[in-house]
Amino acid sequence: MSVKVAILTGFGINCDRETAAVFEMAGATSERIHVNRLVNGEVNLQDYHIMAVPGGFSFGDHLGSGRLMGNRLRFGLREQVRQFVNDKKPIIGICNGFQVLVKMGLLPGDDDISFEQTASLTLNDSGHYEDRWVTLEFDDNSHCIWTKGLKRMRVPVRHGEGKFVTNDKKLLDKWDKSGQLVVRYVDPNQQYPSKSDELLPYPLSPNSSWRNIAGVCDPTGLVFGLMPHPEANHSTWLGATWTRENLDHGEGEGMAMFHNAVNYAKSQFSIND
Amino acid sequence: MQSNIQRIEVTPRVGGGLRDVRGDTIKSQLKTDHNLEITEVRSILGYQINQELSKDQLTKVVDELFTDPVIEIGCFNSSILDNKNAFTDTPEAVITVGFKPGVTDNRASAALDGFTTIFPDLGKDVKISTSISYVFFGLGDVDLNWLSDQLHNSLIEIALIADSNDCAIGDWPEIQFPELKDIEYAAPSTIDLNVSDEELIEISEKGLLALNLEEMKAIQQNYLDKDVQARRKELGLPPDKPTDVELECLAQSWSEHCKHKIFAARINHVDTETGENSVIDSLFKTYIMQPALDMQQEVNWLLSLFHDNSGVIEWTPEWSLCMKAETHNSPSALDPFGGAMTGIVGVNRDILGTGLGARPIANTDVFCFGPPDYDDHLPEGLFHPSRVMRGVHAGVRAGGNESGIPTVNGAIVFDERYIGKPLVYCGTVGILPRHLPDGRESHIKTPEPGNLIYMVGGRVGSDGIHGATFSSLELTDESPSSAVQIGDPITQKKMVDMLLEARDLGYIEVITDNGAGGLSSSIGEMAELTGGANLDLSKVPLKQLGLSPWEILVSESQERMTVGVDEKNKQAFEELAKLHEVEATIVGEFTNSGTFLVNYGNDVVADLPIEYLHDGCPQLNLESEWTPPIHKSIIFKEKTSPEEMGNILQRLIARPNIASKEWWVRSYDHEVIGQSVIKPFGGVNHDAPGDAAVIAPIPGETKGTVISCGIVPRYSDIDAYAMAAASVDEAVRNAVCVGVDLSRIAGLDNFCWPDPVQSKKTPDGRFKLAQLVRANRALEDVCRAYSLPCISGKDSMKNDATLDGEKISVPPTLLFSLMGNHEDVRKAISSDFKNTGDAIYLVGETKQELGASELAYMLQEETEGVSGIGGNVPSIDPERNLSVYKALTKAMHAGLVESAHDCSDGGLSVTIAESCFGIDAGAKIDISSLDSFDDKLDSWGALFGESLGRIVVSINPKNIQAFEEIMVAVAHQNIGEVGNNDDLVIMKNDTKILTASITKLREAWKGTLDGGSAK
Repeated sequence: MSVKVAILTGFGINCDRETAAVFEMAGATSERIHVNRLVNGEVNLQDYHIMAVPGGFSFGDHLGSGRLMGNRLRFGLREQVRQFVNDKKPIIGICNGFQVLVKMGLLPGDDDISFEQTASLTLNDSGHYEDRWVTLEFDDNSHCIWTKGLKRMRVPVRHGEGKFVTNDKKLLDKWDKSGQLVVRYVDPNQQYPSKSDELLPYPLSPNSSWRNIAGVCDPTGLVFGLMPHPEANHSTWLGATWTRENLDHGEGEGMAMFHNAVNYAKSQFSIND
Repeated sequence: MQSNIQRIEVTPRVGGGLRDVRGDTIKSQLKTDHNLEITEVRSILGYQINQELSKDQLTKVVDELFTDPVIEIGCFNSSILDNKNAFTDTPEAVITVGFKPGVTDNRASAALDGFTTIFPDLGKDVKISTSISYVFFGLGDVDLNWLSDQLHNSLIEIALIADSNDCAIGDWPEIQFPELKDIEYAAPSTIDLNVSDEELIEISEKGLLALNLEEMKAIQQNYLDKDVQARRKELGLPPDKPTDVELECLAQSWSEHCKHKIFAARINHVDTETGENSVIDSLFKTYIMQPALDMQQEVNWLLSLFHDNSGVIEWTPEWSLCMKAETHNSPSALDPFGGAMTGIVGVNRDILGTGLGARPIANTDVFCFGPPDYDDHLPEGLFHPSRVMRGVHAGVRAGGNESGIPTVNGAIVFDERYIGKPLVYCGTVGILPRHLPDGRESHIKTPEPGNLIYMVGGRVGSDGIHGATFSSLELTDESPSSAVQIGDPITQKKMVDMLLEARDLGYIEVITDNGAGGLSSSIGEMAELTGGANLDLSKVPLKQLGLSPWEILVSESQERMTVGVDEKNKQAFEELAKLHEVEATIVGEFTNSGTFLVNYGNDVVADLPIEYLHDGCPQLNLESEWTPPIHKSIIFKEKTSPEEMGNILQRLIARPNIASKEWWVRSYDHEVIGQSVIKPFGGVNHDAPGDAAVIAPIPGETKGTVISCGIVPRYSDIDAYAMAAASVDEAVRNAVCVGVDLSRIAGLDNFCWPDPVQSKKTPDGRFKLAQLVRANRALEDVCRAYSLPCISGKDSMKNDATLDGEKISVPPTLLFSLMGNHEDVRKAISSDFKNTGDAIYLVGETKQELGASELAYMLQEETEGVSGIGGNVPSIDPERNLSVYKALTKAMHAGLVESAHDCSDGGLSVTIAESCFGIDAGAKIDISSLDSFDDKLDSWGALFGESLGRIVVSINPKNIQAFEEIMVAVAHQNIGEVGNNDDLVIMKNDTKILTASITKLREAWKGTLDGGSAK
């Protein structure tokens, strides 16, 4: 038996194939599953160990990124998702998937898994969608299972609505303290560690996200979401400047996150393959 | 207020770190495009729901659907402008923009879907429409009607204005719900063609049929045939005259757009220079198809040519690739956003409709616009080029990004002659498994008589009626608004997901897209495979009740595929469609009856013999005559100092044709699918331009594919032969720069021409046709030499606009796109210099070739026409170039090459500067030896000439000897080394001839087309 990953698809999700691929590369078995197959009960989420909500443009993001897909999940999969987290199973939302998890209230979330929205991802201050590479730095005190041991990572952002905000600034301190502000944009020319609450200039922070936040986790550290695309840097030859670097070709920097989750699931659910 | 209409308004919260970025963007673009200073612009999103809803229900949809509580404030059935929490001050003006009835409103479709999630039982008859309001503060003295014109397109939208007086009393604009009224059904009529020639022409012109007299007469003849009449009598059709359904179907099938009549014409070609007087029987067959078929005899990887929606090549034993590019010029002139978006999602469907269905994996976008800073007379009815550019770009961005297909390669070309019709080329690469799980080869369609015909995806409306015939006419003041549509990428994405799943399950026997000509073309074309089809138009799902049969048949409503399914898979296919929330409806079946039989319910409305439908169109006879045009010579300033030369380079590199397009390109997703190896920009600061895209589509595997393009319309001013040759060479050269496998390259030819048919309207038609002949001859010569078959192509032959009595024709333009194999993407090369001290080489021969160069046009503009563009236009020696390319490729595979960058627009000096941007340092260059291939070569020619077949590479000093050994038999010159400071210094015979600062060059290069971000 191997770690089974449910990769959601449908309605404009479009990074499902590469997201499925990176979990396979990390040793798991991925299945791309249309959201409706989970909603109509044809497929049972509980048969999987990890769930991923990939990037894309669900419903065209026409009413705000991730909002309609968030509602579909909130209305159609509420109990299944709550059970999933209570079973200590990891969930990741990438880009549009992150937006979905935030809009449905699963991130940054609360202890009761109440699906109350407390944060949002809004239009980049630049006013436009953008595909460019950024450098991320992780909170090494965070208990997030996805980011264990990670320091920095170079990955692309590809979004128009990635500015993380909240309506209650006190929450930011709370989340910071509880290790939920897991990943920030940083200046690659600064020595590690350099993550800071002070706003980085564009384009080091591509969206003017508050406190340079690129991704957050829930109180359990199991549910994690981020705007950048680690799955797009699954191999060394996909990097932004790989032709300038002396590399031993192989796995890209983004893979570490997926290995973490698969290893976690293996040990948590005693899976040996 | 209309009854039963619920109004909802939402505006972003501002302050405390939150902004109204939509408003800020409008403010910033008005500043960038019109130099307008406005203190503040705010935005309000409006929704109308035509359904009685209780207060509780309204509160629920406002809170849970329309408003994001963290970042927005919403209200219902009141104006948010009266809410002091949202707007503390009274604005000076408000402009509200909504759609006209029947125009695709994607935000409304999403809202309706979201509404149904919350109220699953209420959704049945609910309709939703959207609007957007711009709220202005500190506007100053601006004509509000002018401002409103900048913010909406009156062809598809309406705008209402509240001026400062209205604002003072809170009289806010209120858009009416754009109710699409059912139209009155018009039963099929018949058209009497037993009339005079004049009347035949009138029938064609009035009906927008775009058929000429000879074609009308061919139709007339068909209905005089005794056998035809007998069969028609039996079917209950009028025996001796066509129905409107038949005439429309023929007009679509025989349109220039679908039939490529000019490329199929018999041409009498005269060359006054050489005395040639010859007959060409079809440009397409002679110069495009035959060479490719000949090459197909030589190799085993050309799987499918010329009979499908795109050509297919084998890539690996497991996968094949296909590629297609289309243009969407006329719609983009009328509505840049909708036209371009429809273009990109439309060509995606060509890929989905290839074989048994291919998956789109990469888009390419090449645009030709008027200059963004154009300030000359603009004929009434045209948008300013900067607006066309923004709209087209936004349409392609939305279409590509929302579909999850990366835009990996492209170009933007500027010329004043594109202000009438912009050219919007959209291309897509697709991937398909060589074999499906059921064993069928996926590039071969397998329809059988009896297969059910499904229409899948969107519904049919009156949008997009006459698109194919309209694009076969020139643009005039009377061009129909129904030709404009807006794509719906999400409906299409759902359909693509569903159909690819259906393909792998073996449900698809045949598939094609509904593009130009709608069902008449899609079913009409596929009917050729089985020898017939029956179609019942009354089964076709409609957006709008009351459409006449002929309208349903030819409507080009988007996001639809036509699919043939075996009866045994009917249920499974329909269940899959339901799961994906995609509409799939049986509208007919394939037969072997020999005719395309169309019903509307029980009534037969058309019966067209398949053979006649496809082969009945008479061949055009055209005249072509070539006399080389005469141009004034370029006037160069004598004794130009090195600093002045540097300034010339700085002005040249800032010209829109050369300037960085980064602001525009970065807003396309080029990395979705996780396969992007060589990206649009590289280098230490990620801003040096790449030459070609390299993608590795199978995760973890290192075999890749290269995608590049070439386009140089300027050269047509001297000779379209040189233009076409240079376009092909540029595409190949770009691909060579990244390390393409030259043994497996395939091309696409996309011609966009001004009308080349001699007539009163086009007195220079013979010359324009001669340009077309010459371009085709170049295409054949160069493609044969490079073993580069054209696997797909398209032509658009009426790129003229007559507006205000003025005719504006595009310069003859060929876009050549290339797709090639890459054996190991880990050996791909990027364009940026890598290390200080690396040796810089120029491979290929430099000649004194400045005719029609970018420099020539710059000097012409700067001297207001005193200096001309005449001179030698770059000539081609494809055999010589190929040996250079092959040697260089060998050196690359041996790991000896650090960087490679194509030498094209602006010549050697621009190429070197761009490679310098990638390392953030200058270079020391010596061009003394360049004249060894042409003793007439001067400094201007060496620095700015655009001779073909040249690539600038950099070599680590330790590899110089090995590199030189591989290159020994081909032209290559060591011209300097990568520097360690900001200076670019170019020497000739120990004298400095050009000095420049890389920082300043970069600023100039990036400044011109900075699109303006919200500040």
